[in-house]
Amino acid sequence: MTIARRIALAAPAVIIAAQVMPALAQAPAAAPAGQAPGFYRFKVGGWTITTVHDGFFRRPLEGFVRNAPIAEVQGILAENFMATDTLAVPFTITFAQKDATLVVFDAGNGVTPAAATNGKMIGNMAAAGIDPARVSHVIQSHFHGDHINGLLNAANAAAFPNAEIIVPAAEWAWWTEASNESRSPEGQRPQFANVPRRFAPYQGKIRQVAAGVEVLPGITSIAAYGHTPGHTLYRIADGNEQMIFVADITNRPEFMMRRPEWQIVFDFDGDMAAASRRRVLDMLATDRIRVTGYHFPFPANGYVARHVSGGVQGFMFVPAEWSSAV
Amino acid sequence: MAQRRLMMGTALAAPLLARAAVAQAPAPAAPAMAPGFYRFKLGQFTVTTIYDGFRIMPVQGLVRNAPLEEVQAVLAESFLGPTDYRNIYAVTIVDTGRDLVVFDTGNGPQAPGATLGRLLATMPAAGLDPARVSTVVISHFHGDHINGLITAEGGAAFPNAEVVVPTREWAWWTEAGNETRSPAGQRPNFANTARRFAPYAGKIRQLSDGAEAVPGIRMHAAEGHSPGHTIWHIADGAAELVYLADITHRPELIARRPDYETLFDFDGAAGAATRRRVLDRMAADRVRVTGFHFPFPATGFILREAQGFRFVPADWG
Repeated sequence: MTIARRIALAAPAVIIAAQVMPALAQAPAAAPAGQAPGFYRFKVGGWTITTVHDGFFRRPLEGFVRNAPIAEVQGILAENFMATDTLAVPFTITFAQKDATLVVFDAGNGVTPAAATNGKMIGNMAAAGIDPARVSHVIQSHFHGDHINGLLNAANAAAFPNAEIIVPAAEWAWWTEASNESRSPEGQRPQFANVPRRFAPYQGKIRQVAAGVEVLPGITSIAAYGHTPGHTLYRIADGNEQMIFVADITNRPEFMMRRPEWQIVFDFDGDMAAASRRRVLDMLATDRIRVTGYHFPFPANGYVARHVSGGVQGFMFVPAEWSSAV
Repeated sequence: MAQRRLMMGTALAAPLLARAAVAQAPAPAAPAMAPGFYRFKLGQFTVTTIYDGFRIMPVQGLVRNAPLEEVQAVLAESFLGPTDYRNIYAVTIVDTGRDLVVFDTGNGPQAPGATLGRLLATMPAAGLDPARVSTVVISHFHGDHINGLITAEGGAAFPNAEVVVPTREWAWWTEAGNETRSPAGQRPNFANTARRFAPYAGKIRQLSDGAEAVPGIRMHAAEGHSPGHTIWHIADGAAELVYLADITHRPELIARRPDYETLFDFDGAAGAATRRRVLDRMAADRVRVTGFHFPFPATGFILREAQGFRFVPADWG
């Protein structure tokens, strides 16, 4: 049975002969296939926040969540009208600009092959009018490749040539100490080679910061360890207004907020990541703070609400409303 | 455990590396915002939603059959404020390859600086030329849906388009004798209808329930919000979309509480009954939808929840 038939109303059928009009002989313009550029702006006090889409990466769902049966994961995805065979992991980078300060939180996937579905940040930055040479600070949440690869441009030089790089001290300490390699999960060991390579052009411009400190005026680091040894969030505040860049506190929130105890293949210490996640989400839901997230559905900003599903007390991501008025 | 592993890392209290100040002018702010369009494929059809803008109005008085505090509590669950209600407008455009169809026309000409009436200005950014629109489909005749039929000069905004209207909607608002039988707030629609459709004389086609406007696009009566309010089923092969028009106002409020009646409703009780029936079907069929007052980009799905339904935005891609 077609939907057309099923939604047909039992309304009295008033049959009035339709006025037939002469056909307008005009072929419609073929709509260009292109999507609107992937950037979005809003204000947090005097900060102008821009989220910039870096595309997505599609991978098999199988194996993504390590501590739940795949059927359970598929059930939650289906509730969210998402595919259940593969998982599209999106990437969105948060920029914050105020006066001469232009901060980028994490560096994106960087230069990727032309056919890749990720690595769209460079083009979308241009569309948003953001010149990488004007970025004054790159603030890293953690050192997984999708967050640091974009530190390099196509020539393997600094993609942000005039920027200071701000990194969590705990993250820096772990990945720059070769003897930690054998004590890291196997899947994470490539970071040890990738980290020196990506940070190389920034020698002398890298500042390590502790948790809970103001790293720049109005920007404070918040420890949320587990996903990586030094995984860090950042609060961006001006006056009474604030938001938090929550980085990888969840992967896609449609399922990782619903089930905060789930652990994913990218977690360094899944138990600790889950504990951090529950603590942070609880705080965000209580304080009703606007957030941006690295793997949130674009434009990747909104709020966290408590939500019960399937008898589990979890959370739900509530996208902020899209507005043409910044 | 990781805590211990972390402790084993070199505890750095190294002095911060000083950096040379980068003396730079502030980053340019422009462009302020990405153009308000969003595009997705439906089979071989291309669907574009266009943001026509918004208008702020009071929450107070919006819902006629529920206490203000209750309405505010539902809004708060979606992080929407208690005082100002943002009425948002999104136009659905479908390119079938054969026809270029615009569903409702937005708020039309406005004073400079207005936050609404953006359809004609935004279409070019999406590569869409109003002069190439072959069909304008009108779901119902409330001003925010028909005012955009005309330009600031009073001419046809879609000069080469046929305008397809629901027979029952046309019949109601073009019969002066109905004016006194309409709610007071809706009576301006009689004069407005005549004015907005004037440039299309001879190019207006009335359509009855279940009939096709153009191949692949079929009308279904969904009455109550207005006497002849309709929704539209758009299909290319197995790919389906339903344009829900005003089956709900903002879904954060009215999908979640389908029995709420708003000040925009012609017959609130009939509108609510229609809404429940249609949303139930959308949820059962898990069919993709667009809606005129849905949060931009105004496309997603309808999910059942405890007291009604929830709008689940489609993934941006």
